[in-house]
Amino acid sequence: MFAMIELELRRLKHDRTEIYTRAIQPILWLAVYGTVMSHVKAIPTDGIPYLDYITPGVLLQSTIFVSVFYGLTIVWERETGILKKLLVAPASRYATVIGRSVASGVRAIFQVLIIIPVALLIGVDFIFNPLYFLTAILIIFLVSGGFAAISILIASLMKTRERFMGIGQAIIMPLFFVSNSLYPIKLMPTVLQYFAYFNPLTYAVDAVRGLLISGDIRNLLPDIAAIVIFDVAMFAVASISFSKIIE
Amino acid sequence: MTIAIEVNGLVKVYSGKVRALDGVNLKVKAGDVFALLGPNGSGKTTLMRILTTQFKPTSGEASIFGLDVIRRDAEVRKVISYVPQEMSVWTDISGYENLLIYAKIYGLPSTGRTKVIREALEGMGLDSVADNLVKTYSGGMIRRLEMACAMLIRPRILFLDEPTLGLDPTARKVVWEKLVSFKKEFDTTVFFNTHYMDEADIYSDEIAIIDRGRMVKFGTADELKHSIKKEVIQFILTNHIVAENVLKMIRSMDFVSYVIISNSELNVVVKDAETALPVVMEILRNEGVSVKKISMTRPTLDDVFLKYAGAISLQGGGIREIKQIRSMSGKGYI
Ligand SMILES: Nc1ncnc2c1ncn2[C@@H]1O[C@H](COP(=O)(O)OP(=O)(O)OP(=O)(O)O)[C@@H](O)[C@H]1O
Ligand SMILES: [Mg+2]
Repeated sequence: MFAMIELELRRLKHDRTEIYTRAIQPILWLAVYGTVMSHVKAIPTDGIPYLDYITPGVLLQSTIFVSVFYGLTIVWERETGILKKLLVAPASRYATVIGRSVASGVRAIFQVLIIIPVALLIGVDFIFNPLYFLTAILIIFLVSGGFAAISILIASLMKTRERFMGIGQAIIMPLFFVSNSLYPIKLMPTVLQYFAYFNPLTYAVDAVRGLLISGDIRNLLPDIAAIVIFDVAMFAVASISFSKIIE
Repeated sequence: MTIAIEVNGLVKVYSGKVRALDGVNLKVKAGDVFALLGPNGSGKTTLMRILTTQFKPTSGEASIFGLDVIRRDAEVRKVISYVPQEMSVWTDISGYENLLIYAKIYGLPSTGRTKVIREALEGMGLDSVADNLVKTYSGGMIRRLEMACAMLIRPRILFLDEPTLGLDPTARKVVWEKLVSFKKEFDTTVFFNTHYMDEADIYSDEIAIIDRGRMVKFGTADELKHSIKKEVIQFILTNHIVAENVLKMIRSMDFVSYVIISNSELNVVVKDAETALPVVMEILRNEGVSVKKISMTRPTLDDVFLKYAGAISLQGGGIREIKQIRSMSGKGYI
């Protein structure tokens, strides 16, 4: 399991461009969309500057991108023989699957570590509390693990890379918009509000916003509970679908 | 004599439609190099993937050193290594790092790990390029890196799925030389799939031919060649005319299938040329036919393959092989 994390780190050591290119989109959201919209002041954000308000959502969206495209690695590893060889290794298969997901979480964390300094430069006001910060990182890690599991599920259904790319986009963007990332849920039509309450991103954003921006952590425990339920469900489904990937 | 692999009535039907294996039986002795020959799509990879515990057969059973591949799969995985048909290393890290990661996945103890890796690299002749990214390797080097990976755990059986597909003759030779010396050192049983006849001929102790999911022939290369029972002895005669009664005498021998004569060429088709030659020669000499030159053509494995597995193209693997070569040299990870 740790070997998989080491693998990701060694890959990053040799080639960091992917981390940088993946950081461009979230930085644009903050620097362009965020700055422009903060002048409009049309969205009620409980007194938080709009730029600060959307930062947690943008952070999570970009880490989810990383973990969903992790499934792409699996598709690629299936096209090559790597997946087959891992299956024949004298180690538990589930350790391998979980190790791969955790490794994608590591990549996601690197993403966060690039975006936060940029956000600071643009003028986002973070709460400087190491404990809060670590908890936020842990939550991001958990959420990306769950999404990595979703991507294993997609990978077992999609046989080609191109289709996978399409489905990946088609999942992430709606989740992002139908959540409290960019605006409070209360502003949405009722139907969408229901969807938002089923969206794990809503709970993650709420928790991370509390920890990094507003300091309001009254909902932290229910938020974490929601994320854990999501993770367990997704890991269960992914483990079942994994056997389908093999054949 | 220990049995390394035993397979009984193995059937695999993919998604309820494709019958990839149709009742395969097989026995492989420990310490042998065993070649499984078969045309594209005959079920070679499917059989190997079941033997390496990747998925379950639809019915039938198989065991590795007496360990059932379905019920005791975890134990089986401890004694086998496997090199898939497709590329199986990460191209965006170095060769050394690949071995290091695999060593950790395989749970090699950290003491002496570096030594084992260095030995594997040397054994495969890769020590000078160990720290280069795998992206920069040739197809043959990648194959040898994969072999090095498979050797890390000193397996009792090594499974190789078309180990030299898409390599040039020199690279193929190097891969096999390294493999043979590893086999000698650790007395590993080797089971490999191929559709290169010459490899099966030179390097294997025993050969099985599979066609459309069924084992059609089994034996050593020599046994298989003899089983064709068609060897040709060709006599170039000094004189153009051979008396009809001489031909009759030769035809009447029970080991002679048929005789063809054209101009000064006399072709005698027999079961076994080596034992037939002295007898035929004797007849010719007694009848005063003088012979200028003799040659014998024995069947090759290609003839064997064509006879048992049908006239399916053997040399080019078509689009699949091209894809494979592309993916071997491609940039890989996106
Ligand atoms: N995952 C799969 N799902 C469905 N059918 C499959 C699958 N893998 C193989 N097959 C089919 O099973 C049959 C046997 O395939 P297999 O890959 O075992 O052949 P092979 O002898 O290894 O061929 P090759 O020389 O091309 O590697 C083929 O008809 C193939 O199309
Ligand atoms: Mg094959």
